Amino acid sequence: MLVSVLNGLAIGFLLFIVAIGLSLVFGMMDVLNLAHGALFLGGAYLGAAFSGSWGGFLAALGIAAVGGLLAGSVLSLMTGPLRRRSHLDQALLTLGVAFVVAELLVLAFGDDPLSVAAPPALDGSVTVFDAVYPAYRLVLIGVGAVLAVVVYLVVERTRVGAVVRATVADRDMVATIGIDNRLVTTAVFAVGSLLATTAGVLGGPIYGARPGLDATVLILALVVVVIGGLGSVRGALVGSLIIGQVDTLGRVLLPELASFVLFAALALVLVLRPQGLFGGPAAVGAR
Amino acid sequence: MDPHLLTRRRLLGLFGAAASVPILSSCGSSVGGSGGGGATGGGGGTVKVGLVVPQSGVYAALGTDMQRGWQLWLDQNGGTFGDRSVETVVADEGETPQTGVPAVQKVLQSDGVDVVVGLVNSATALGVRNVMSEARKLLIVTNAGAEDVTGAGRTPYVWRTSFTNGQISAAMGAHLAESGFSEGVYAIAPDYAAGTEVIAHFKRAFEAGGGRVVGEVKTPFGTTSDYQPFLTGIQDSGARATFCFFSGSEAITFVRQYAQFGLAGSIPLYGSGFLTEGNVLPQQGDAALGVQNTLHYSDQLDNPANKAFVDAYTTAHGEAPSCFSMATFDAANVLNRALRSATAIDGDALSAALGGIGTVDDSPRGPWTFENQTPRQHIYLRRVDNVGGKLVNAVVQDLGPQSQPAAV
Amino acid sequence: MTAVEAPAVPGGEAAVPPRAPRGRAWIVAVAVVVVLAAVPLFLAPFATTTLTRILVFALFAVSLDLLVGVTGLPSLGHAAYFGSGAYAAGWVSINVTAQAPVPLLAGVAVGAVAAALTGWITVRSAGVFFLMLTLAIGETVQQLGNAWDSVTGGANGLTGIPSVRIAGAPLANAGFTYWYVLAVFLLGFTLVRLVARSPFGAALRGIRDNEARMRAIGYPTSLYKYAVFVLAGGVAGLAGSLLAAQARLVALPDLGFATAAFALLAVVIGGAGSLWGACLGAALVIVIRDALGPSLGGHGTLVLGAVFVLVVYLLPRGAAGIRLRRRRSPS
Repeated sequence: MLVSVLNGLAIGFLLFIVAIGLSLVFGMMDVLNLAHGALFLGGAYLGAAFSGSWGGFLAALGIAAVGGLLAGSVLSLMTGPLRRRSHLDQALLTLGVAFVVAELLVLAFGDDPLSVAAPPALDGSVTVFDAVYPAYRLVLIGVGAVLAVVVYLVVERTRVGAVVRATVADRDMVATIGIDNRLVTTAVFAVGSLLATTAGVLGGPIYGARPGLDATVLILALVVVVIGGLGSVRGALVGSLIIGQVDTLGRVLLPELASFVLFAALALVLVLRPQGLFGGPAAVGAR
Repeated sequence: MDPHLLTRRRLLGLFGAAASVPILSSCGSSVGGSGGGGATGGGGGTVKVGLVVPQSGVYAALGTDMQRGWQLWLDQNGGTFGDRSVETVVADEGETPQTGVPAVQKVLQSDGVDVVVGLVNSATALGVRNVMSEARKLLIVTNAGAEDVTGAGRTPYVWRTSFTNGQISAAMGAHLAESGFSEGVYAIAPDYAAGTEVIAHFKRAFEAGGGRVVGEVKTPFGTTSDYQPFLTGIQDSGARATFCFFSGSEAITFVRQYAQFGLAGSIPLYGSGFLTEGNVLPQQGDAALGVQNTLHYSDQLDNPANKAFVDAYTTAHGEAPSCFSMATFDAANVLNRALRSATAIDGDALSAALGGIGTVDDSPRGPWTFENQTPRQHIYLRRVDNVGGKLVNAVVQDLGPQSQPAAV
Repeated sequence: MTAVEAPAVPGGEAAVPPRAPRGRAWIVAVAVVVVLAAVPLFLAPFATTTLTRILVFALFAVSLDLLVGVTGLPSLGHAAYFGSGAYAAGWVSINVTAQAPVPLLAGVAVGAVAAALTGWITVRSAGVFFLMLTLAIGETVQQLGNAWDSVTGGANGLTGIPSVRIAGAPLANAGFTYWYVLAVFLLGFTLVRLVARSPFGAALRGIRDNEARMRAIGYPTSLYKYAVFVLAGGVAGLAGSLLAAQARLVALPDLGFATAAFALLAVVIGGAGSLWGACLGAALVIVIRDALGPSLGGHGTLVLGAVFVLVVYLLPRGAAGIRLRRRRSPS
């Protein structure tokens, strides 16, 4: 039982790294980036291509980070011209991009499902709570926690973060006071995408890399941000940790309902609190 | 006006280019007669085969193996069935019947093939039964293992060279019951039709042999990437062994996590052979060592036909064949045998001829026969071993010839 | 009522151009119907089968357009009602009767009831939240379909569905099946078009453009949204019953995310709000997926994704935008 709670934490922090980018991009630009899962898959394939050594793992992280920044900037440029059209058009544009990117990844890396070895020394298992547990997942909990703190501090305590938060709250007002928020939104899109590809590399040893993983991860991340409230860092963190537990502990406690627990949790939250746990009340009507 | 708007002509070009290809190229009439469109066959010099296998989606790797198996047989036999040259049209089955059924209709109606070969997805194989019987053409299924494909409601136009889900797991059930695990086995499989069939037949055979299933769980199909919650359930159940059915990426993830969470050392893992078959095995790595499973084939089988098959296949593609390659290779083999005696290449004549081919004695899997249009074949107990630095499914024991078991 | 009539989204009204010469529109409509009706006499079975699939998917897309384009409710779970209707029609055909109106009525009823049961949750939300809730409902319904395998056949699908029978005789070939599907399609399309042009439809467009204002001037907007959600579910169920008649197979993907997403693509390609545009979008999706897809060596999705991205840029108002341009430029 305690191992399941621990494992829920590992999955939860990984989800947070994926979901935070999705959430901030939506909060700032109203763009629901449905290509986010494809970015994760790109990172996972990079991890698979370079797996087996620390050098390879770090190289994969580096390439994924640069690739994520580029991909995010391109996506930002692509959705820019659609800004005056409905949010649905923007979301569906990214869905089309997601189809194309996922297919290109399969062309590049083949259609066999791949497994990814954790870096040496983390590839083994340790004993926690009298149970055997993969060492890599313990490290992932630590890395995820550090990243969560860093993102939280940047958004809540720095000047750039203040602009980001202000843009989420009232985009037009930020523009009125003379801040060019196009630069900020592009930067957020790029960093959000960087986090998605990085999460792909980090998640590789758990999820592997395979066609179809993009959709699985995207749906998990969407559930997280909707439960947490779109555009909220705290919401994404709490949502990730909740879904991490639902996806592990929920399945231990209710194995026969395993297929339903995820969406049951989503529906429950949205029925009780339609704007998500940390979403502002304005979110529902306006978006 | 928005400058981006297209003119009507450009739009027509866009839509027309796509639409005109399949529609205008196939004029005729759809009224009167029930088949139509296809070549009539007769005594001509060719037989046209539609090879419908996945080229996209999660089963694409299986489709590659199947195409290679098919092509290898043709290459080794001069590209002919008897005195007819073989013309192959490949179509993408995709992942679901939404793409698979139109692909079968396309090769039948648009390309006018005489025979359809392939199909990974059981829903597609079941869904095209009426298409095949209305067209009166033969389909040879080379993977889809649902028992209904050749069960009580079968049509004479659909045959199978692969396996049935229950055939493989029933053999394992009987084997585990007499191997000292009768006190308790835990059964786990994905929550979909094939998983249900596998578990049901395993349980029936295992319990008939005096075994006791101490726990059973179905994991969400296609969306489960982390098996930790279910592995905890297995550990808590006190089972002496685990029986599982996974394939593709789920097989990779399950076997690796079974080792990572420390179960491999204490609760031996048994499974249906797809768990460690084909391209998944190298991805599982050492986590798969010692896993025992049952299947109707292994590239390690020691018989002359298999040695020749494995050599030729490995030379051509740099990797050993899988049971998917083998079943499609055998589909070409049985078609060739049927055409020796068939009076025509329509479905009725071919179906009658297939019924009379007797024992297939030169198959890589060992001798087998058609029984109710699906193989009665040897099932082998295999164990993953490291042979010269490479993981293989070593054959431990021949569990003897098995039929498709009666429905549970 | 002026607020209701104001077209706020350009192109949204394109399906109902106020100055359309009534006579000419009728002539075009009749000509299209005549050509469609004559098609099986000239086309080979596979082309006819492809056209039949297009009509089935087009009616499904039209029902979705009633939500997305007319009411402004983007759904990613509409396949739940399409698939439910298809399962109901298929099950009734196998176990009760395949006699003509019965499978249709079963499809409509189950589609509408499923929408009525789930709609009360979804219509309380809007925008992306609506998108997510409908997605969750669609996935959950698909899981239910998998779990309830005694009725649905689970992952093996519901197979062995007999041909629809009309006056006792089964539809013997692709041509007759096509005519049956065409007739029901025209019925469904006309129904949706009448609704979209009615005062009720005008109120729905008002809700799309400014729900708060509609509520302020006294419209029970939640009730209206609930009504259109159930209606769209019923029409999707009708399209589902055509799927059962055409494919004679219903499988879990018919309930799922990919089907719903493709329908949404079709609506956007056609230009949200334009019903005939949705039909064109559906045609493009089906031609690429079912007719060209098998020959593309596994790259059908790649082509579909690329075409879709292009269309979003090149045709900002979808196919409906073309018509707007043609009408205005000569005058």
